[in-house]
Amino acid sequence: MNLRGLARAARRRPLGALGGFVVLGLVLVACLAPQLASHPPKDAAFPRHVAPGTQFRMGTDHLGRDVLSRVIWGARLSLYVGFTSVAVGITLGLLWGIFTAYAGGLADGITQRIVDVLMAIPPIILALALMAVLGPSIDNVVYAIVILLAPTAARTIRSVVLGIKTTLYIEAALALGCSHARVVIRHVLPNVLPMYVVLLTVNVGYAIMAEAALSFLGLGAPPDEPSWGGMLSAATRAIETAPWVMLFPGMAISLAVFGFCLLGDAFRDVTDPRLRQGLG
Amino acid sequence: MNVYLVRRLLYFVPTLFGASLLIFALMRMVPGDIAEILVYQTGGETADVQQREIQRIRRELGLGRPLAVQYLDWAVHALRGDFGYSYTQRRPVADILAERFPRSMELAVLTMCLAVAWAVPAGVLAALHHNRWVDRLVQVASLGGLSIPLFVTGLLILYVLVRVFQWLPPLEFTAFLESPSENLKQMIWPALAQAYYISAPIARLTRSQMLDVLHEDYVRTARAKGLAPLRVVFRHGLANALLPVVTFIAWWGGRMLGGVVIMESIFVVPGIGTALVQAVSYRDYPTVQAIVFVMALTFLIINLVIDLLYGWLDPRIRHA
Repeated sequence: MNLRGLARAARRRPLGALGGFVVLGLVLVACLAPQLASHPPKDAAFPRHVAPGTQFRMGTDHLGRDVLSRVIWGARLSLYVGFTSVAVGITLGLLWGIFTAYAGGLADGITQRIVDVLMAIPPIILALALMAVLGPSIDNVVYAIVILLAPTAARTIRSVVLGIKTTLYIEAALALGCSHARVVIRHVLPNVLPMYVVLLTVNVGYAIMAEAALSFLGLGAPPDEPSWGGMLSAATRAIETAPWVMLFPGMAISLAVFGFCLLGDAFRDVTDPRLRQGLG
Repeated sequence: MNVYLVRRLLYFVPTLFGASLLIFALMRMVPGDIAEILVYQTGGETADVQQREIQRIRRELGLGRPLAVQYLDWAVHALRGDFGYSYTQRRPVADILAERFPRSMELAVLTMCLAVAWAVPAGVLAALHHNRWVDRLVQVASLGGLSIPLFVTGLLILYVLVRVFQWLPPLEFTAFLESPSENLKQMIWPALAQAYYISAPIARLTRSQMLDVLHEDYVRTARAKGLAPLRVVFRHGLANALLPVVTFIAWWGGRMLGGVVIMESIFVVPGIGTALVQAVSYRDYPTVQAIVFVMALTFLIINLVIDLLYGWLDPRIRHA
């Protein structure tokens, strides 16, 4: 898409454009974290609980670390978890969904029951159980979110593929003697890709929120890592005397989730207005 | 109705079985020896006492036996209400569940009531005043609810309470039956915070459903034959619009069990959620396994009840 096309799309969907703008800003902050942050995120070298002022724009936390620097580095951590877990989880779901829907029969029946079982446990609870097994670390948070995302994505992709399977062009391709591999790669895959892209955008906000929730409960990123959720958790202990330690990471999470929500909604409306149900 | 009921029940049992198997398998995938982890976590005793403890736990959990036997053993005991022993809390897991589960359920029910009480009327009002300021207000309010994460709302409420009203969450929990007012004083805030969060999608769905239904022919007919406007809205509009809302609320009700974990830890409610977080951080696997299983069971029962309710409300479903 050229610039003029982008501008036109932005004018038609101002909220989506706002979301895109927020996301772009976050990506820039995350990329430029070493340049933007005035202090290393784990550097506890300052007085504790200094109120926001000229020296520390967002104050310092309970260990004397610069909150602004940690919020900036936190963007990098959040986006890392958000992007990797969604990319891996939704891609797994894509392969899984295409396979089961196309194969049908017993394979489909069995995998659908597996999805049922995975969805029988409330998401945060399943994530907690997974973290209990894996132990707290950032990469393990990514694995846990992948396991949350893949089955739901597989189910959505499956329903799309089931629709595609009944179309005439698939029948025609098979009648012409295409191999199943060719049908899947050349005919099915291109037609599920829009849904794949929607699932990718819609779920990043969800993944960011899940990471923050796990870290907030003290079971996600280790405490010294600059995770927005972890910062909130530490802030609860001094909520009366040092509210800034809580307010700024809280605003950062809300802004990120808000941005990805708006962008995801816009993508969803453009590609498929019928798909209204995200993971929320 | 009976066929529908039986089919729905036939689906419930294997799913529950699968979930219990999954949870069991997860807990056995823990790297290292569970018995050693449990003992070293609670630690403090001398080395030979610890060794004896490890041997005892291995025997109790039957860790030397084949996995299938271990699972069956666990399942049979669980069916009898015996979930093993919590090594960190030093009492049977069933006791923890009996003490804490009702508290969490109270919080969940209170949350749901608050959310529905505000979200459904708001959605109906927004639909009746489509594209006017009431509609816009509801939409902005629900957009906020959707994008501010639960724990941020919870912390903001806590901050306001602490700052303005000098209120701190009491460390001692008061049961509802003991003193309803004391209990509600503690429970209302986490319930409100989560209610705001979940009311957003409910209000949005009610609004869009009402908008659809109000354009149906039967609503026009009802209006044309001169029924009172409010009667049209409630009997013909809301009654039909609410069906998808009911399933959606149930679906969220299950997800809410997760939210309850977060609210409990912010507002220091000693419920099942805080117990789970504590068990996970102390790596008390028997307790984690039991709590996750009970959560899955509750979730499945909620879904079952809602599906049956839905079949009862909408004859088209049960005959499909």
